[in-house]
Amino acid sequence: MKRTVKMTLKERERQVRRQIFQSCFLVACVAVFVFLIWKLKALLLPIVVGALLAYLFRPIKDRFQLSWLPHELRVLSLFACVGFCLFMVFNKARQMIPDEKQKLEMKVRLKYKMNEKFQELFGAGNAEKRPGPIAQLIAKEVGPAFGQVNQMLDLDADESDRFQKFSKGFKGQPPTEKRFIEYFEANQTASTYKVVIREPAAVPEAAVPAPAATLEAEPKASLIESLSIWILAPLIFLFLGFDNGQMRRYFVSLVPNRYFELSLTVLDMLDDAIGKYLRGTLLECSLVGATLAVGLFLLGMPFSLALAVGIVSGLANAIPFLGPLIGLVIALAYSLIGENIVSLIPGLNPQDLAIYVVVLIGVTHVLDNVVYSPIVLGNAVNLHPLVVIIAIIGGSELMGVWGMLLAIPTVVVAKTAVETLFKELKDYRII
Amino acid sequence: MSVRNLIAEKLMWESLRRWKNTSPELDRIQFLKTVPFFNELSNWQLKKVAEIVFLRTYDPAEYVFEQGQPGAAIFLIMDGQVAVEISKEGLTTSLATLERGAFFGEMALLDESPRSASARSVDGCKTLALYRNDLNRLIHSDPATACHIYRALARIVGDRLRSTNELVQAAEKLAA
Repeated sequence: MKRTVKMTLKERERQVRRQIFQSCFLVACVAVFVFLIWKLKALLLPIVVGALLAYLFRPIKDRFQLSWLPHELRVLSLFACVGFCLFMVFNKARQMIPDEKQKLEMKVRLKYKMNEKFQELFGAGNAEKRPGPIAQLIAKEVGPAFGQVNQMLDLDADESDRFQKFSKGFKGQPPTEKRFIEYFEANQTASTYKVVIREPAAVPEAAVPAPAATLEAEPKASLIESLSIWILAPLIFLFLGFDNGQMRRYFVSLVPNRYFELSLTVLDMLDDAIGKYLRGTLLECSLVGATLAVGLFLLGMPFSLALAVGIVSGLANAIPFLGPLIGLVIALAYSLIGENIVSLIPGLNPQDLAIYVVVLIGVTHVLDNVVYSPIVLGNAVNLHPLVVIIAIIGGSELMGVWGMLLAIPTVVVAKTAVETLFKELKDYRII
Repeated sequence: MSVRNLIAEKLMWESLRRWKNTSPELDRIQFLKTVPFFNELSNWQLKKVAEIVFLRTYDPAEYVFEQGQPGAAIFLIMDGQVAVEISKEGLTTSLATLERGAFFGEMALLDESPRSASARSVDGCKTLALYRNDLNRLIHSDPATACHIYRALARIVGDRLRSTNELVQAAEKLAA
């Protein structure tokens, strides 16, 4: 009897020691994890992006089932297919990126057309046409921003010099079209539009451009640095793609027996909810992008450009509220500089393209909210608009544009994890 | 069995032999072969099952699962003994003591209904757990294997239903 009591006491002591050790180990793990996250925060984004891509890729991998093909070969052949498709897409996109001459022409054209539209709308710089009081008020409000955009589009001395060289034929390129030279000359006197609204603010000393050599060296260094960090994303994608459930099994093996079934259920429910949300969002963004691309093409935009605007706007749509605005800005910018536009819809006046673009963005937004989102996402995850706004602002503060893009998925993961965990802990009568 | 499957199986066993004479994976496959639940499966299919099961080790008197909890997995006893107990109004009755090769909690493969009894390790035990959703995923990745497992499950449920009916009939006869 005494022996049994002694054993029980020993067992109890051992249990207490085990609990203390486990608690200390857990605290140490959390501390190390937080420290590493803090120190390696630059690596966090490529890791998250790689993991996210692997996660989105997983259903394709799961559907590609050939029992006679080993898992590694199966994944490798899938990677090869995806890599080839991506290569083709990037190659096509690279061809669409304007060269130096086209960039200069686009800048000149955008500045000219913008000023032309501004003058047309508000009669700025035109003594004969007096704008109404409302137009004057708008012009007063929009003026400073317009002046800043105008300043951004100004060609500096070096760019002006190169533009003039290109205008006569340079680096084997044909001479610039006559209309661009006319725009360039008109832009030289465009400062009158700025003067009408407000004198541009004096450029602070700190903002004086650095010598060209320094300016070129800095982006190169940062490009190499970011490239070396971003090499992690495909690596993470690759290794997670090869994973055949080993990681999940390893983590589940660490879970105490009491929580074994609970952990499997929670992991599965989380996986299901997050997967549905992410894939739903991807599909929703694709639908929005396709709608915009088709709409802009019908309005008269060249197909390749309409597709590019559709892709960018579709991607931006992942950021609630801001997404449609980004799409609007891009499409409006084109509607301002577009020339010789022939709409495929009969009866549309090409002069009013900007209005049609606004209507198109509005219709797409309504379609997204009324049709796409409810069908694709359903009630996958309901977030309060205030939470969405705070998350986006927080994300942008922490990681800029990437932070804005990843803010909502992060909140969704956290919300689903907490909800599922509490529900299952109750079901398993642990709490 | 097709020639392709035969070659694949031969290759698998050769690679396993080369790898190690006694590897945990080989142990698991050999154990699974002895469980009636998987007796229709080929070695190649058993390897696939061995890849998705979880090995769990329990201390003496530790609960594998408790009555009333939602079920998520079936457990196969690899080593040791497990007591199946039912509690009612504070009274615990032991229904059976299961040994190596036996399985319990099989209804969890069909739905999330609460466990009808508790399972407790007697002197410590080792089990292999097959999670319901892993089996569901096997339907897509290897339908033949999943089909064999579900057929075995249907046969077990059918046998139990038949024996319950016989018990009810016997009880009715006694009552009459």
